[in-house]
Amino acid sequence: MSLSEVKENGEALVSEVRGDTRFMSRITSIGLTPGCRVRVVKNDKNRPLLVFSRDTMIALNRKECMGITVEEVTA
Amino acid sequence: MSAGATIALLGQPNSGKSTLFNALTGLRQHVGNWPGKTVEKKEGSFSYGGKEYRVADLPGSYSLSANSDEEVITRDFIASGEADVVCILADSSQLQRSLFMLADYAGINVPCFLLLNMADVAEDQGKTIDAKTIEKKLGIPVVPFSATDIRSYDSFYKTLEKALSKDSRINVEELAAQYGSIKGYQDICDLIPENVLEGYSPMWLAVKVLEKDEVVIAKLKNALDAETFGRIEEAARGTNGAVATGGCKFRWIDELLGETVSAGNNTVRLSRLDRIYTNKFWGKAAVILTVLLGLIASFIPALPLMGVGEAVLAVKAPVMNALYSIGCPEFLILIVGDVIIQSFSYIFKMLGFVFGVTLVFGLLEEVGVMARISYVFDNTMGKLGLQGKSVMPFLVSFGCTMGGAAGARVIDNWGQKVLTIALAWAVPCGAAWATIPMLASIFFGPGAVGVIVAILFTMLVHMWITAKVFGGQLVKKEDRYGMIMELPPYHKPKWGALFRYVLGRTKETFIRVTKVILLVCGIFWLLSYSPSGNGGILYSIGVAIEPVTRIFGLPWQLFLSYVASAVGKEGAVGVISALYSGGSYGNAFTQAMSGGADTSNLSSLLLANVTKPEALAFIFAMTFNMPCVVALAATFQETHSAKWTARIVLYYTVVSLILAFIAYHIGMLIW
Repeated sequence: MSLSEVKENGEALVSEVRGDTRFMSRITSIGLTPGCRVRVVKNDKNRPLLVFSRDTMIALNRKECMGITVEEVTA
Repeated sequence: MSAGATIALLGQPNSGKSTLFNALTGLRQHVGNWPGKTVEKKEGSFSYGGKEYRVADLPGSYSLSANSDEEVITRDFIASGEADVVCILADSSQLQRSLFMLADYAGINVPCFLLLNMADVAEDQGKTIDAKTIEKKLGIPVVPFSATDIRSYDSFYKTLEKALSKDSRINVEELAAQYGSIKGYQDICDLIPENVLEGYSPMWLAVKVLEKDEVVIAKLKNALDAETFGRIEEAARGTNGAVATGGCKFRWIDELLGETVSAGNNTVRLSRLDRIYTNKFWGKAAVILTVLLGLIASFIPALPLMGVGEAVLAVKAPVMNALYSIGCPEFLILIVGDVIIQSFSYIFKMLGFVFGVTLVFGLLEEVGVMARISYVFDNTMGKLGLQGKSVMPFLVSFGCTMGGAAGARVIDNWGQKVLTIALAWAVPCGAAWATIPMLASIFFGPGAVGVIVAILFTMLVHMWITAKVFGGQLVKKEDRYGMIMELPPYHKPKWGALFRYVLGRTKETFIRVTKVILLVCGIFWLLSYSPSGNGGILYSIGVAIEPVTRIFGLPWQLFLSYVASAVGKEGAVGVISALYSGGSYGNAFTQAMSGGADTSNLSSLLLANVTKPEALAFIFAMTFNMPCVVALAATFQETHSAKWTARIVLYYTVVSLILAFIAYHIGMLIW
């Protein structure tokens, strides 16, 4: 599933990141790489997604999230 | 004092780089553009131990890829050897992620040391970091740092000297081993000879090739023979790019940190303030309220300087009288009074604003509120090609365009900053808002409300069109990507560094804008001056081209006060009233500018001489004209570009006349 489909307060493992060179480089440099664990903190329509990963709160544009595939972790 | 080394500061956004830069250099800094580039260049200097050190604050970015001009400039500057040592900053409270910059740097052959910033924040979170062990593993000096702690600076200077004397480089063995796991890496690395591109190791270059870094690939193509390059291209095919190399970098960081970081309690709950800002319904209102409160707060530090501006104006009359009494030629007296003293009054009032707005906006940035504003307005501003932060200068411009321009400096991308200022000009300022309802109610009575609504609507359309007109050149396609940004934890402000920064910017603004304002005020004064008191160049031109200006609905009196409104909107009405009551243009102009014009029987004068369509045309022309001389100077100061400032002025002049034309002809249909 895509990262943007994870419900608020849900946790997930990033399984794949897809996109053009620039997107890959940007998303990697902020720490979202395959295998890393993320927690969706806020997921409202028309607002960037808020996720917490590697001790960092990250705001992600919704469209950009389409390229991030995750597997949900059931706590 | 002997010349010391040049230090480059390198770090991700929110790593505290600017705070460190300001704390180190204080008033000794200079902001310009990189030669031929639209990227801001910040330099400064400080002295320590009898030596003078130069500091370059490199543009903040998350990595050293070829994603943006900022990143390419940063890495080329470092590799060129211009810096003797690079200080790499990482955020101790988010160490794993923020060490990415260090991992991306590894392989550039310039001595460096690592600064673990925000040690205090990490400590508050219950994290302990074993800097000594990290230092041993990395092979470069590592210094824990907290900008609020005076002793930190001492260890900073010592570490700096150590890094310089030991010529310390990062131990990349383990990292190279990680990269070795990527298919094709070793082949590419072996094909790249040492020193093929100055400053970069084969490992670094090979990784960039794998990341499909176009700039590096093009340079290698140039430097290598076709066969070798062809084999490199072959080896790079089908690899997983930045994702694979990024994975290696983070695995290396994980091993490096290993047992050296003990994690504290890691709550991911949003703070109460963030729950308000990120709220679907209240978020935008909360941001607007924050900015407005900030704007009001910025008047408090601004008041003393604005008082100085008033005081300067108050000496104008006595000085001019004194000059008269000693028999000074009139021309000279007018230059001293109407140009020089008048200009300095503007300049000090402007500095008050710049000081207040820079302080408050700098504070919002420093404590982390600015990132929330970006988040909340990302979608809306993104449609204009801007960052969410751009909403702040727009809101400030309702008060004063110059404040808006000064506030635009929080936008870190030069093109987006210029575009933000260009759009902020379309927002009618406080002086326009004082004039619009007054004129509108004289002519249209209760219909004034309709005029105000029309002005607001025109403003929105104007901004949208202006974004289209200038956006293509200013904001490149690759900068129009959606937000991928960190929301930093809230920080306590570092008052010392903040004040030094604000004072530095205010001083620099003073030096630069003085010239612009004196020049523009001087030109306007010369154009409106006439020895006899009647006539003058502007007056003659205005009367001569009246047949043309009438097409735009502006008889010569209104046209000249439209011209005056480019100097300052406050004066526009004074000029109208003086011209229709038969006063001399030159006097009216300077009096109106210093706020001393007589507007007593304005409404009867206007109703007797001006038709409704003409009034409507004038309201639009005046409102959307260049905001004022001071806003012009502030725009030049912030954009560092005479070319773009001139373009914006020309554009606004043309558009305001077009709007007057449209308003006039719509008015003719109605009345």
